[in-house]
Amino acid sequence: MIHSYLYLSIILFCLGIVGVISRRNVFTVFMSIELMLNAANLAFIAFSRVHESMDGHVLAMMVMAVAAAEAALALAVVILLHKHKSKLDTNVFSLLKG
Amino acid sequence: MFADGLFIGFAILSVLGAVGLVLFRHPMNGAMSFVVTLISLAGLYALLSAKLIFALQLIVYAGAIMSLIVFIIMFLNIQPSDLPKEETKLFYILGGGIVVLPIGLFLAKIVKSMPERSTEIIGNNFGGVKEVGLLLFRDWLVPFEIVSILLLVSLVGAVILAGKRGTIK
Repeated sequence: MIHSYLYLSIILFCLGIVGVISRRNVFTVFMSIELMLNAANLAFIAFSRVHESMDGHVLAMMVMAVAAAEAALALAVVILLHKHKSKLDTNVFSLLKG
Repeated sequence: MFADGLFIGFAILSVLGAVGLVLFRHPMNGAMSFVVTLISLAGLYALLSAKLIFALQLIVYAGAIMSLIVFIIMFLNIQPSDLPKEETKLFYILGGGIVVLPIGLFLAKIVKSMPERSTEIIGNNFGGVKEVGLLLFRDWLVPFEIVSILLLVSLVGAVILAGKRGTIK
């Protein structure tokens, strides 16, 4: 049964990568990153259940805290970029290209 | 068995939500289908007898983080004309799938080489608040404090970035 959970985790992680590299909407890219974090969380919890130790639960809580911090910062940056360019296209944000 | 049926239902729902997130054009539709993924992942955590993480997933992820994202999407008042034109989206998704497929197959091969174990729901307070809390404050105290510093730094950074007066140059 553990294999099914890990396969599901792999599927969700790959869908997250596909979302990041194929979409150009800032919000969709951001939520795909969250999807990858969630897939990692699922693997943590599944391994934690297999070994019957709760370290994976603590690590999943840390990942959630990192995701919350990332959400706060990334949304602040998105608001700033939208104020500056009024677009949501990742190709428009090329300030560092020179 | 009942738990197997629940697992299949939650797994199908979570994959469908993730596919919807990748395919929907408007970010609001994507956010709504991502909420479905998060809630079904909470159900999977409950099946893995992680009681505290089940509650935290519903409260922190599906509650706080997603409502923040939905709030920002509504706050920016996105019209369909503001969205980037993605005529070649399906080609990119196909190409991305071809690029990602070897990675996924490699990971699947690793999983296949591991011994199969049962994941029946166990009692004995596994994953309860008290047990995870004891572990968190005994063995993981230093990482916990570092996470608190990380949250403080991101709080200050978000206030400075979003509360900036005038335009950036």
